[in-house]
Amino acid sequence: MSRFLTSIHKMDEAELNTLKRRIDIATAVAIFFIAILIVRLWYLQIHRGDDYAQLSENNRVRAQDLNAPRGNILDRQGRIIITNRPCFNIVWVREDAPNPDVVLKKLSRILHEDISVLLKRIRSYADHPRYMPFRLQEDIDWRTLVYIENHRLDLPGVRIEVLPTRDYLHGDLASHLIGYLGEINEKEMKKHADGDYDLGDQIGKMGIEKIYEKYLHGEKGRKYLEVDVHGLEQKQIKVRKPLPGDDLQLTIDIDLQETAEKAMADKAGAVIAMDVKTGKLLAMASTPAMHLEEFIGGISTVAWKGMLNNPLHPLIDKTIQGQYPPGSTYKIVTALAALSEGATTPETIVYCPGYYSFGNRKYGCWKKTGHGPVNLRRALKESCDVYFYQMGQKLGVDTLARYAHSLGLGSKTGLEMENEKSGLTPTEAWKRKRYNESWQDGETLSVAIGQGFNLTTPLQVCRMTAATVNGGILFQPQIVESITDPDGKKIKQFEPIIEGHALGTQEDLDIIREALTAVVNEPHGTGQASRLKEISVGGKTGTAQVIHLSKYRDAKPEEIPYKYRDHAWFTCFAPSENPEIAVTVLIEHGGHGGSAAGPVAKQILQRYFAKKTAVAQKLQP
Amino acid sequence: MLRFDRRLVLNFDWVLLLILVLIGIMGLTNLYSASHSGRMLGTPVYMKQLYFFIIGFGLILAIVSVDYKVLLSWNYSLYVIACLLLLFSLLFGKSVANTQRWINFGFFYLQPSEPAKLTLVITLASYYYRKDTGKGFSLKELTVPMLLTALPFLLILKQPDLGTALMLLFIFVSMTLFVKLRWQTLAILSGTCLSAIPIGWKFFLKPYQRQRIETFMNPEGDPLNTGYHIMQSKIAVGSGLKFGKGFMHGTQGQLDFLPERHTDFAFSVWAEEWGFVGSLILLGCYFFMILWGLNIAVSSRDKFGVLLAFGIVSLIFWQAFINLAMVMGLLPVVGMPLPLFSYGGSSLMTTMIGIGILMNIRMRRYMASS
Repeated sequence: MSRFLTSIHKMDEAELNTLKRRIDIATAVAIFFIAILIVRLWYLQIHRGDDYAQLSENNRVRAQDLNAPRGNILDRQGRIIITNRPCFNIVWVREDAPNPDVVLKKLSRILHEDISVLLKRIRSYADHPRYMPFRLQEDIDWRTLVYIENHRLDLPGVRIEVLPTRDYLHGDLASHLIGYLGEINEKEMKKHADGDYDLGDQIGKMGIEKIYEKYLHGEKGRKYLEVDVHGLEQKQIKVRKPLPGDDLQLTIDIDLQETAEKAMADKAGAVIAMDVKTGKLLAMASTPAMHLEEFIGGISTVAWKGMLNNPLHPLIDKTIQGQYPPGSTYKIVTALAALSEGATTPETIVYCPGYYSFGNRKYGCWKKTGHGPVNLRRALKESCDVYFYQMGQKLGVDTLARYAHSLGLGSKTGLEMENEKSGLTPTEAWKRKRYNESWQDGETLSVAIGQGFNLTTPLQVCRMTAATVNGGILFQPQIVESITDPDGKKIKQFEPIIEGHALGTQEDLDIIREALTAVVNEPHGTGQASRLKEISVGGKTGTAQVIHLSKYRDAKPEEIPYKYRDHAWFTCFAPSENPEIAVTVLIEHGGHGGSAAGPVAKQILQRYFAKKTAVAQKLQP
Repeated sequence: MLRFDRRLVLNFDWVLLLILVLIGIMGLTNLYSASHSGRMLGTPVYMKQLYFFIIGFGLILAIVSVDYKVLLSWNYSLYVIACLLLLFSLLFGKSVANTQRWINFGFFYLQPSEPAKLTLVITLASYYYRKDTGKGFSLKELTVPMLLTALPFLLILKQPDLGTALMLLFIFVSMTLFVKLRWQTLAILSGTCLSAIPIGWKFFLKPYQRQRIETFMNPEGDPLNTGYHIMQSKIAVGSGLKFGKGFMHGTQGQLDFLPERHTDFAFSVWAEEWGFVGSLILLGCYFFMILWGLNIAVSSRDKFGVLLAFGIVSLIFWQAFINLAMVMGLLPVVGMPLPLFSYGGSSLMTTMIGIGILMNIRMRRYMASS
């Protein structure tokens, strides 16, 4: 020890002072650096503290949208047609999946989906941030859900997302009318810029779902969660509950709609039932139906192509988008015009030999043996073409068009649906403009019996029927009765809208109504297939020629290729004394109106009056 | 030698002990919070750190009972052992995240680069003490200390551990500047160093190290990857505001946003939970410790004590400054613990041994000439 001590160099005063001075410098250096730290601390915590506090909140709090359940769609009696159910989607979060290959292999086995499909889907989100979830598969079934929930720990990166989705309680009932939902696209995002839509949200793409989107959509809620760096939920901070959409009560009656669709099950065509006194639609069916379930979570290309290429055109709403020659149902227009214009009286007799010679051509009556002498009543009842050829000739096409217009033909009915077709009511001016040719008188004859250039939609024919028997009032057809908010408060009630009045007096209309009643109820009437026991029905049959081919002139309907067969019309009303309901049936390529379309209309009327009787019995025990 | 001297007890440096205990308590409290949400198995880190503290106090007691001047005769043995440990860790060490920094002692993983820092301080102090002629060092005379520094420097750089390696340079520069240099030596040395920076950047830094420094220059450029640490740490510190979010209530720390929060970024947790006031208190403790240490250097009666105390203080000071500047986003992220505060046995032991030596010098300030 002492060896060390003696060897220690003892400092003299000068050296000690030098070192002390250096220590002072070192102290100054230390103070300087510590001052830097304090200034920095002040800058971070005081000067910019609020900014960093905000950033730390952003880190910690994750807001999650809560989708609002859409409003229910009810029938006129308040029965639910469409409501919501939870839809379970598989969501993928790249950040949480350290070994995506292993997990995806398992997942592909669970979902019975090829791994390449899943990988393709993931790759399409390659530019998404790693923490952002995206959907791998939508609307998985219950068993898959339970399996995945039970194997959660083996499937890192996989999460389940629950969203409210449409529940079609009645299957494809009124599918064209109600429409479907789909993922919002850029165009719709722009259009609804003021709404709370995000990419990936569902939006009404067609029908009621689209038109009343504003009401049905509801208002999104928001959940604020505290999450850790892995995005794992720690606790809920606060919640704003979503506001469900408004309920929409339709004017449609589920029973009538069902009856109509069942009756049309194997046919392509349209059925409309209208409340004669309000213009509200009780049933509106276009067949074949669209399969609404297939649209949930985005329709597959195969299913879409299948519908697109189906020769029966399920994607077209035939009630408002199908345009067909009205055939003999147009004779209502010709009859009204003839009476009003004085071209005929109820007593006027026309002789039908089975054809009508005009110019150098013979225009045939459907009954080649001829009807013999016919007045207006019999002409309507037996649908004598010759009688109406003569009336058409006397009136001219423009007069016919005036009456047709007054009954709502040739223009859109104003129903709140998209892509409604206006049909076609030809005039001389129209032909000149369209074809740059003058009108031929012979063409007037075709128009007078509902052929030629004439085109109508089933809804137009139904409204015409209603206007004929309700005192000539042309209502705007409606499908929505009222809108109710989630608290049960009615926010909108739709009142009938009168759009115009039929030309012609009440007397003339009564004469026609009476004749139309004979169509169903008297011998030789063309509409006897729709006769009911208790209730008197009136109506008019129609057979719209699709193509004029001499080789099929005498052929039976079954021998003609489907696409060349005539369209079958039947439009009717009941009770004939004081009509309440008008029903129009069109069957594409159905053949004769009376035999093909009549029975369908009859089933709907039967159902309507059966319900009415049941209600009446309940009221009077 | 082992004769008990009453003056030792009377002269014991209670002040330094008090600061050590204060910082220790704050550090342990902070570790408790920082490791709370972690899903770690085994003994919680704050408990392990507490054990190291207790062992450390034992070491201090052992150190103060022996005159620090023995180090003059031990210093080369210590130096050789430290370098051998470094070499051993490189060859047989436990590899963590592609670095070879650890030696497994069964109950304890030693990070030999930590004692190497202190060993370098002792070695340089001894060398300068022996060779100082009072006329200032020439470049030629500096060759030996430069080589003494270069060996552990290169061994640590090879691990690779840039932060600790740079620390050795800081010690060398600080201590060399402290003893007298000739002006021309200083000029040549600083010129060489400045020109070496671009060469070092190009040839000696690993890509990840270069990236760290680049990220530091522009942390917002890549917020989810390399700039993440700096960003999250600044957010944690900044969001502490005046009084902090409260003990165990720091969201950045508790929710895992802060990386390395019980080691290098422990101060961020503290700043978040205790705010500006708490941070100032901790900073004040370090400041006081530095000043006290410098005072120990001044009051030492022999030159070895002065050099040794100054070296130890600069070791603690530079580590603290670099760590704090780093977590506050003033310097790039290099591995650098906050002495006494960050979790880690090797660092804590080394620092406590250093403090033990400081106390030792303090206690013997009147005894040098006896």
